[in-house]
Amino acid sequence: MKQRARDQWSGILFALPFVIVWSVFTLWPVISGFIISLHNWDPLRGSEYIGFENYKYLFTSERFWNAFFNTFEFALIMIPLTLIFGLLFAFFLYFSKSKAKGFVEGALFFPYLLNVSIISLVWKWLFDPDFGLINESLKMIGISNAPQFLNHPVWVIPAIAFASAWWLMGYRMTIFRAALESQPVEIVEAAIIDGANKWQIMFKILFPLIRPQFLFAMVLTIISGFNVLGQVMIMTEGGPGRSSEVLALYLYREAFSYFRMGRAAAIGFILFVIIFIFTLIAMRYMGNENKG
Amino acid sequence: MKKRGNTKFFDIIMIIIAILWLIPVFWMVDTAFKPTPEIFTRPPKWIPESFTLEHIRGVINNWPFGRWLLNSVVVSGFSTLISLFLSIFAAYSFARIQWKGRDFLFVVLLASMLIPWQINGVPLYFLMNNLNLLNKLIAVILPISAMPIGVFLLRQFFIGIPTELEDSARIDGCNRLDILFRIIIPVSAPALSALGIYMFIFSWNEYFWSLIALQRINKFTLPIGLNTLQGAYDIEYGLLMAAAFLASIPVMIVFLILRRQIIKGMSWSGVTK
Repeated sequence: MKQRARDQWSGILFALPFVIVWSVFTLWPVISGFIISLHNWDPLRGSEYIGFENYKYLFTSERFWNAFFNTFEFALIMIPLTLIFGLLFAFFLYFSKSKAKGFVEGALFFPYLLNVSIISLVWKWLFDPDFGLINESLKMIGISNAPQFLNHPVWVIPAIAFASAWWLMGYRMTIFRAALESQPVEIVEAAIIDGANKWQIMFKILFPLIRPQFLFAMVLTIISGFNVLGQVMIMTEGGPGRSSEVLALYLYREAFSYFRMGRAAAIGFILFVIIFIFTLIAMRYMGNENKG
Repeated sequence: MKKRGNTKFFDIIMIIIAILWLIPVFWMVDTAFKPTPEIFTRPPKWIPESFTLEHIRGVINNWPFGRWLLNSVVVSGFSTLISLFLSIFAAYSFARIQWKGRDFLFVVLLASMLIPWQINGVPLYFLMNNLNLLNKLIAVILPISAMPIGVFLLRQFFIGIPTELEDSARIDGCNRLDILFRIIIPVSAPALSALGIYMFIFSWNEYFWSLIALQRINKFTLPIGLNTLQGAYDIEYGLLMAAAFLASIPVMIVFLILRRQIIKGMSWSGVTK
């Protein structure tokens, strides 16, 4: 009995420092963010409770829906690219006996270590319509009328999504690779004896085994996909026009260019709901099948 | 025989892809050292005909680059250390001590990993403003220091440590703190260093919140500083690439030395179940 009471206290005491910092700088901002989103928050004139007016405004605003669909387009291109490349490269490294394996892994992982400003500046330069390496290279192989990717309303989001996949893929690859390495080799050996080809081994045997890690990487990628900000801000500032303005950039502008904090907080909440829904879908389809 | 030829073929393709993958990085370094006229010649030259330091000097002389680097080191160093410290205690409590409310709190912590930073930006801005912490590095450090992922990952590792170790220490009269410091922490070195690497990289690259919290040029971290440079130079790619190159030197050096550990540390975060 005594031990129990002591455990209760020491348990709380040990967790407390973390929980305090987390409550003040994560939990409280979330709660107060929701409260702010119900107000017409004006730092000069004071705020006024308006219920769900901010949400109503957003759902009828063209600018919001534009940002909404741009975010979706970005996520729908970037997430699969990142995960599929990551998975394929991880499988390759798993099967390869080449001495260059270390080099390949290092080269594919390295971009992940560069910060968002660096990769955005570099890709802006690569995509430069007049002197950039990409359009020049396309010219050299005979495609002289290639679009000016970052200046083209249709191509701008795919271009930024591609650059982002280049940046983020390496970390996902290392997750998958480590997950593959931790599987018992006997499974693959037995499959080879049974006459399975590499394709079958990859997708029928190994992939189901690394589903938990795939789910982890998927949630991670969903979060960074729907939250995209830095790349867009630096490469295009949302342009041309508003054809690459994403939700996070719209939020940032509402908050810190127009100082409409209530509306900005509402955008933040909508983002949260979107990410939450997609994470649930991902877990449903990729999560533990034993439950179903 | 046929199989081997096939594998070789894939190896060569992968090496080509890996080289292509590095072209953006190569092109950044290349541009940083090319004289301006050569940057804009067509078709592009892969190897500069003459090598120049003018862009590097331009950046260093006109911008507090050293300061930004120092700020980045301070932010990442402190948030890594503080988060390790806080997470160790919390993870031990969640993994090894029975107390009422524990499991509920843990689920809440896990759920909060899904909250995007963008929600917190606005209220956190007001909070820091009230605490008079805006434009101080600590405003960036604190919110990063209590990320639930740290608790989550360490807890998974602690659960795997055999309880017999702990029990025998108890019989010898050790209290919880002794156990944590003498047994749990020493055997958790790989997990702690992996989490440390993860946290360092995360905070080194943090962008959104720093952009809001830091508005004075001397307080910028590297990512925010680069963002300002881009506003100032727009299409002077020599200067921009020189700045990007300078900002990536620390990462390149560390990666060349610690490649194995970094990749291992990062992958660990995904493999723990």
